[in-house]
Amino acid sequence: MGFPILSIITFTPAIGALIILFFPKEKVNLIRRFAIAVSLIPLALSAYLWFAYNQTEGGMQFVERHIWIPAINVWYHVGVDGISVPMVFLTSLLSTLGYFYSAYTIHERVKEYYFLFLLLQTGMYGVFVALDFVLFYVFWEVGLVPMYLLIGVWGGANREYAAIKFFLYTLAGSVFMLLAILGIYFTTGSFDILKAAEVHPFADNFTLASLAFWAFFVAFAIKVPSFPFHTWLPDAHTEAPTAGSVILAGILLKLGCYGLLRIVLPIFPEPFRFYAPIVAALGLISIVYGAFVCMAQWDLKRLIAYSSVAHMGYVVLGIAAAAASLNFNHPAFKESAAIALNGATMQMFNHGIITGGLFFLVGMIYERAHTRDLKVFGGLGAKLPYYYGVVMVTGLASLGLPGLAGFWGEFLVFRGAFHIIPYITAFGVLGVVATAGYILWKVVQFMFLGPFNQEKWGHLTDMEAFEKVTMWPLLLFMVGLGFYPAPLLNIINTATTALMGKL
Amino acid sequence: MSAVEILQAFAPELVLFLGALVLLALDMAWRRLGEGKEATILSLAVAFVILSLLLLLGFGKASALPIWGMLASDQFAFFFKGLALIGTGLVLLSSYRYLEGHTPYRGEFYAFLLLVTLAIMLVVGAVNLLMLYLAFEFLSLTSYILVGYLREEGKSSEAAIKYFLYGVTASAMMLYGISLLYGVTGTLDLVKIGPALASSGAGSWLAFPAIVLLLAGFGFKIALVPFHQWSPDTYEGAPTPVTAFLSVGPKAAGFAVLARVFITALSRFQPEWVSVLAGISMVTMTLGNLVALRQENIKRMLAYSSIAHAGYILIGLVCLVSGVTSNFTGLNGVLIYLLAYLFTNLGAFAVVIAVERATGSNRIADYAGLVKREPLLAGAMIVFLLSLIGIPGTGGFVGKFFVFGAAIQVQFYVLALVGVINSVISAFYYLNVVRHMFFLRGEEKPIAVELTLKWVIVASLIAVFVIGLYPHPFISLGTKAVQILGVAF
Amino acid sequence: MVPLSWYLLVAAALFCIGLYGVLARRNAIGILMGVELMLNAVNLNLVAFWRYVNPSDLSGLVFAIFVIAVAAAEAAVGLAIIISIYRNRDTVNVEEVDLMRG
Repeated sequence: MGFPILSIITFTPAIGALIILFFPKEKVNLIRRFAIAVSLIPLALSAYLWFAYNQTEGGMQFVERHIWIPAINVWYHVGVDGISVPMVFLTSLLSTLGYFYSAYTIHERVKEYYFLFLLLQTGMYGVFVALDFVLFYVFWEVGLVPMYLLIGVWGGANREYAAIKFFLYTLAGSVFMLLAILGIYFTTGSFDILKAAEVHPFADNFTLASLAFWAFFVAFAIKVPSFPFHTWLPDAHTEAPTAGSVILAGILLKLGCYGLLRIVLPIFPEPFRFYAPIVAALGLISIVYGAFVCMAQWDLKRLIAYSSVAHMGYVVLGIAAAAASLNFNHPAFKESAAIALNGATMQMFNHGIITGGLFFLVGMIYERAHTRDLKVFGGLGAKLPYYYGVVMVTGLASLGLPGLAGFWGEFLVFRGAFHIIPYITAFGVLGVVATAGYILWKVVQFMFLGPFNQEKWGHLTDMEAFEKVTMWPLLLFMVGLGFYPAPLLNIINTATTALMGKL
Repeated sequence: MSAVEILQAFAPELVLFLGALVLLALDMAWRRLGEGKEATILSLAVAFVILSLLLLLGFGKASALPIWGMLASDQFAFFFKGLALIGTGLVLLSSYRYLEGHTPYRGEFYAFLLLVTLAIMLVVGAVNLLMLYLAFEFLSLTSYILVGYLREEGKSSEAAIKYFLYGVTASAMMLYGISLLYGVTGTLDLVKIGPALASSGAGSWLAFPAIVLLLAGFGFKIALVPFHQWSPDTYEGAPTPVTAFLSVGPKAAGFAVLARVFITALSRFQPEWVSVLAGISMVTMTLGNLVALRQENIKRMLAYSSIAHAGYILIGLVCLVSGVTSNFTGLNGVLIYLLAYLFTNLGAFAVVIAVERATGSNRIADYAGLVKREPLLAGAMIVFLLSLIGIPGTGGFVGKFFVFGAAIQVQFYVLALVGVINSVISAFYYLNVVRHMFFLRGEEKPIAVELTLKWVIVASLIAVFVIGLYPHPFISLGTKAVQILGVAF
Repeated sequence: MVPLSWYLLVAAALFCIGLYGVLARRNAIGILMGVELMLNAVNLNLVAFWRYVNPSDLSGLVFAIFVIAVAAAEAAVGLAIIISIYRNRDTVNVEEVDLMRG
């Protein structure tokens, strides 16, 4: 492969970040424009990637492999398959929108802000394309630091606590992953993720395999986050600046799910099969618990944050179902497992679009009203019709209304998982009901319907042009993928069927 | 061995010694000529260090045989000598004008720094217990003087007396251990002690108290629990450049001696000392980290953090891998870790010095809003702190990667687990500094940073990133260095 | 002839007395004296071992002489530090030297 497209996508933001360091910090507009311009390069390339990925061939494509640390056999090895391509695109899309939105809303320490954000973007790309454990781990943690600073510097009132909590949770999870990675290295002699998936390290020692499985699982479950590792999330999301929340919910959570798909399921199928009921139960609890906790929230941002816990529960459930399918030898179960995985991956993408949108919308109302307390709003529907409409579409997509993007992920997860683990899945439907409840009852009812407080909210204005521009691409994807999910589904399907085929 | 060969092998040390004498003489001559010569003295000192380093690169590995059976100039010593020289160069530059207004005897300070480096170079090459003792005492005596250099200031003398009293006690214990080892084997030569121990009969039990007593002496220099009590007070009270030096130089020397003596002379008792060191390692990192959590003075915090790091580094020595031609031998992890730690800690201390000189304070609370006052300091400090935590991309990660890897390789999972849990705990107090620098608001008056300090900070920054992102040459260097100890390779 | 173990026992006793002194005394000079006792125990050990174990090799004897010399240097530096403490604080009691805590 001649043109190192993945490296260019990955490192363009980091190079941009370094260049920003040399800009005088007073020239905020220059910095903003520069950051947006820089982010357009990976956006264009990742869109190209989606079209250029050969779906009939499948597998890892655009692979680059160079020796990095010969002494211990570490390679700079990157590549993408049908799961990573949409994730790379999602990263580009949300990052660019985040920079664009921030250009109008962030006025303090602009230079540092964009420096950190661009660094974060590189870290996220890296995780999605890395095929070497050390490389993966490096990128995994590189993203941690900018996010910590973004929350801590530009966050809300309780930002210091939220920042350190976010950092410590993620670090605690990932150090165990590091030990497991080292363990894999000393059994297989390489840090190659694809090779590890072929040889299944520790296959002869179930205890060690279980330990390694849990080490990885906990690291990823913290990031997903799955119940009971989710407690950092509401704080981090609530306190982060708007674009930070968007990135956090839209992409960083996907890193955890991606890890489960790329590493845990292919490398540890046997322990995963064994522990699948536990994992599925965690997924189910996340769905139901997350949804019901949302009902009790009065802080709009916290509500959306908890809804992420619930929505990520579907992903965990889908992956657990795929692992559980290994209990059965019938090809029909393989097919259901692939469907569940398709659903999980689609849910990852769609949740990024939808919840990213919701966090933008929360940021917009907060900029105007300086509060996110649902109890004080009411009747805004007539005052802010455009905003109301956008929230309605996004909210309905979030609750999984057929015809909008959110539907497909949940539907496919249920369709696949119901065949394999019917009882657990059946309870999961409760979550769907609760989601409809909090979106329609809490958000729509308390914000937009009911009596309007003219005195308090009379000064509110409807969406401005830049806010509309931020939301349009997301709405486009919600509606477009809702009616015609094939472009996304097809590319994911090449990867998931291949994945299930190897297990 | 011919005189020329001996001279060649010994050239780096000789140059350093000559340098110290020249500086002392100049200082005496110039004191009568008036002040303002510090820059010249500093440049001379740095020039001598660089010359010594060049000679080391040129002749450092010239002779495989020890000089007079006393001093080896092998790869292992080469690595540590290089480490000491680089460290000294950075410390010299960070000391520039630090003592102004504290003491009139500023020229001597640089001479003593050269002497203490000379002592380290002798310690790491010593292959005879007599030479080892003499070099060790040389190192201790020069360090005591440096710690108490600001003799008009209560804190500095207090630091010195604590360091001194603990130090002489530890060295007396070590000496008693040496005498026992001599009694059992009848020799002081490290290479001969091993076989003599293997063939010694009833008296060999004396080796056990000897191991513990030796450990007291070496552990004191490294600041291993329970021989660490001096370090927080000494680190806090000593002039900050000296603190910086103590946290890397003597510590590295201590590890070098520990490895050399225990591996070449006491290999017969490896199972015994491995279990003792494993326990010490766990206690050291845990205690260091837990106490560091509640420190409000950054020098003290870094003192406890350096105790904790000694615990991590010890993992590499505990988890020696023998008989494998791998690049994960545990011991090379010790070397790589020390190298990364050198740049990280010296960089961090350079920032501390810069802040101290501007604000006169070492309280962490006074770091509030540092990013507004001088972005370079805050930006560099966060990198050093992340390296201390062990975040990938920095040198600190490579060090931890190797020592934890060694633990996993020998299936000493508990040690690895304690190590990583401690890394997470340590993040808490390192990030507390970050929190002050970036999240909180403080004074906004810009800080002027001495040019030499800027050099040190930028050089350390680059080194931390280079080791973190392209560790291959350093791994090879470390691996080659430890092969000489022949861990049954 | 007196057996080796007698020398060793005396040396061990001396070492322990010295160590006790170091741990129990609060006066810096007293602690230094305890250390000197420990060093003398070492010298006794070295000389006795040299005489009984390997009399042909002089290293033990030489070592003892070096220890004496180094002890003198140690004492010189130590007393200088103690004097500087005395000047600053008017005391050589180590328990009263407590500017730093934590």
